[in-house]
Amino acid sequence: MIKYLSMIGEHTIQITVQSAICLKIQNLFNSINSTNQLTSINVKIKFGYGESFTDYQVSIKKDANKISFQRSDYLIESTPDYTSATIHVHDELALKHALMNLYSSYIVYHNWGLLIHSSCAIENGKAHIFAGHSGAGKSTAARLSEPRALLSDEATIVKISENSITVFDSPFRSELPSTGYQQPTPLAGIQLLQQSEKIRLEKMRKPDALLSLMDKVFYWSHDPVETQRIMGLLRTLVEKVPVYELYFRKDPTFWELIS
Amino acid sequence: MVQFIQKNSFEATQIEDEWIILDTDQYTVTRLNELGGFCWLKLGEAQTVDSLQTAIDQEYGADCEKDSIDRFLTDLKKCGLIRHAI
Repeated sequence: MIKYLSMIGEHTIQITVQSAICLKIQNLFNSINSTNQLTSINVKIKFGYGESFTDYQVSIKKDANKISFQRSDYLIESTPDYTSATIHVHDELALKHALMNLYSSYIVYHNWGLLIHSSCAIENGKAHIFAGHSGAGKSTAARLSEPRALLSDEATIVKISENSITVFDSPFRSELPSTGYQQPTPLAGIQLLQQSEKIRLEKMRKPDALLSLMDKVFYWSHDPVETQRIMGLLRTLVEKVPVYELYFRKDPTFWELIS
Repeated sequence: MVQFIQKNSFEATQIEDEWIILDTDQYTVTRLNELGGFCWLKLGEAQTVDSLQTAIDQEYGADCEKDSIDRFLTDLKKCGLIRHAI
């Protein structure tokens, strides 16, 4: 077994993995030099579990000492505060999804922020999120944003506090691999995508924005306490950052409306 | 006089002039305007149509029709947010 440190958001993750597959894992979650920061999450990764991905159905079991998330291709066994977990996975896709599941649970539990189903690009030192239902054009918007740097193409890591809303470089990539680590960037706005022949940008009312974002958060647990935390975080988010409906067609002209 | 009271397991969030009531058991969302939110908070304790009418008058100086309050309570009950108080 090999132990190494990686970073997700501003959290240090200690990953323990069989040496034979360590390099493969490090492609997904880069190794960093030791830090003076305390380790936030300890993760032990074991391959050889279950079968290939069949669907997104996750069953959750919880008792006083442990919470587990089980899908056909992964099993997470974690402490209830998500600081220490063993992840059994079938393959790399299962590992990515399992770590998203664990990390999203961790940041909600600790009231740090949210993992939002969206892409995010940087323009003039400010982050702009593109969210929408499946097929609305999150990846397309990310691709059309070149040569702007991307913080995410599928799952955006958003730190939410009363003082600031900050987006962190996401290792949870789908189609567009990272072109190099991007520094944490203040969030300027959220665009909810609607495909349309005519481009336009309309600012949403905050209650509408909050409700539209609820189903864009990656979250698995059905614990009422944690649902309340998500509501609180989303409320702070829409209080601090404008949310727009962006009607766009597949060309980069929408950036003229945003910047 | 029939009394009504909130059921349990709700998260209510006020944002701008609206209230969003999340039923964390049923996973439903109900939106209320400012006056609806005021009545909702009052329904943390058992209320009748008359007691709500008095409370609205005291808070807003408005004479709200009993029929309107009755319809509002019927809607909240349909949404599963309140029950008869015993």
